[in-house]
Amino acid sequence: MTTDAESPPAASPPARWSQKEATRQRVIDAARDLFDTHGYQGTTIREIARHAGVAVGSVFTTFASKGEILSEVMATRLAALCAEIGRLSPHIHGSTADRLRTMFAVHFEFEARQTRLFLAHVAAAYDWTLTPGAQPYGRNAHFQEVIKATLARGVAQGDVRSDADPQEVVDLLMAAYAWTWRLVITESADVKAMIAVMDRQIGLVAGGFTPKS
Amino acid sequence: MKHISPNLVAADIPARPPTRRALAKQQTREKVLAAARRLFSEEGYEGATIRDIAAAAGMSTGAVFANFSDKSDLFREIMADDMESLRGAMRDAATRGRTLEDAVLKVFMAGYTFYKSRLQLARAAFSVSWDKDGGPTLRGLPSSVAFHEIFAEQMDAAVERGELGEEAEVKLRAQMLFDTYLSNFPQAIFEGWSLDALQSRSRDQIRIILAGARRS
Repeated sequence: MTTDAESPPAASPPARWSQKEATRQRVIDAARDLFDTHGYQGTTIREIARHAGVAVGSVFTTFASKGEILSEVMATRLAALCAEIGRLSPHIHGSTADRLRTMFAVHFEFEARQTRLFLAHVAAAYDWTLTPGAQPYGRNAHFQEVIKATLARGVAQGDVRSDADPQEVVDLLMAAYAWTWRLVITESADVKAMIAVMDRQIGLVAGGFTPKS
Repeated sequence: MKHISPNLVAADIPARPPTRRALAKQQTREKVLAAARRLFSEEGYEGATIRDIAAAAGMSTGAVFANFSDKSDLFREIMADDMESLRGAMRDAATRGRTLEDAVLKVFMAGYTFYKSRLQLARAAFSVSWDKDGGPTLRGLPSSVAFHEIFAEQMDAAVERGELGEEAEVKLRAQMLFDTYLSNFPQAIFEGWSLDALQSRSRDQIRIILAGARRS
């Protein structure tokens, strides 16, 4: 951001703001790597501060809790993911089930770059020290809206029943998506295996929303 | 953790009552388990320490370690106990179902009813199960796999009755039903949903999952 000559004389607030912003960015970067390496329980705010090269106190001036830092990390990632899906969506064709499969596959591939980070995100949803500012897995509206739009398009093209409750379908798909990740824990599944399982689960849910012929 | 319960001793040697020593040991274990159950519910898995658990049980940490190898051992034992009781409750519930959908819904409700008074313990279990190190321990519990079987058995029976088609993909559908059952816990834990609210949501979810398998 550049300032032009008309701006009021440089005062300390913008300078302090940008320093605060820099700290925030350093904390987020350090936290992303630490959560991905040590998981949610294994990462402490002290460690995050040390890796970011900032004082523990200044972490707390920006974030109220570990859960809030993780929420921020994930929100930043999600923004990138949504951009990716936005780029792809005009090119996604076929039945509603197939379009859903493509969208979830993109998610799996994206999150699988930092598997443990995603697992930390889900684990954090049950954390005791969570503060109101944190937004754990399952409480983020953005992706849900994308799925609902896909279903609405399906109603228009005739392969989704018009009386199917979009929120119910979304909840089922999100549950299936999250729990497919457990295959990483229980079977050390790779991303291809997860996508294959998710594809079948989407097929089963589609059986519930496809109009009876 | 080699422990012989007094009952087992009694069964092996019917004539002899359990020794005082065995009884005392059993009482110690039960005291520790009760204290641990309370602290895990209040502080979460990470927040509860063996030292606090020992203090709450009124004994030394050494006495706790004489009975349990570590915190995860304690937690696993509590979960295994609960899962065993829950499995029984779910099986009973399933037999009371009139249709497949009804039976599955009753199984869901048996679970939500069981955990209604111990939601915080469920919360601790979820938190452990999503940890890459803690997860395998908990998920490896035999009874956790057995929950899928309850749903699978109900669907197999429905295929035999002709309620579901032959291509019902029972295994995957059983898995999905269990996942869906679990996925409603956050509503119960964090949003205080009533059993009625959980029931009506579950009914719709079950209907969607089973719809594709119905014999048309």
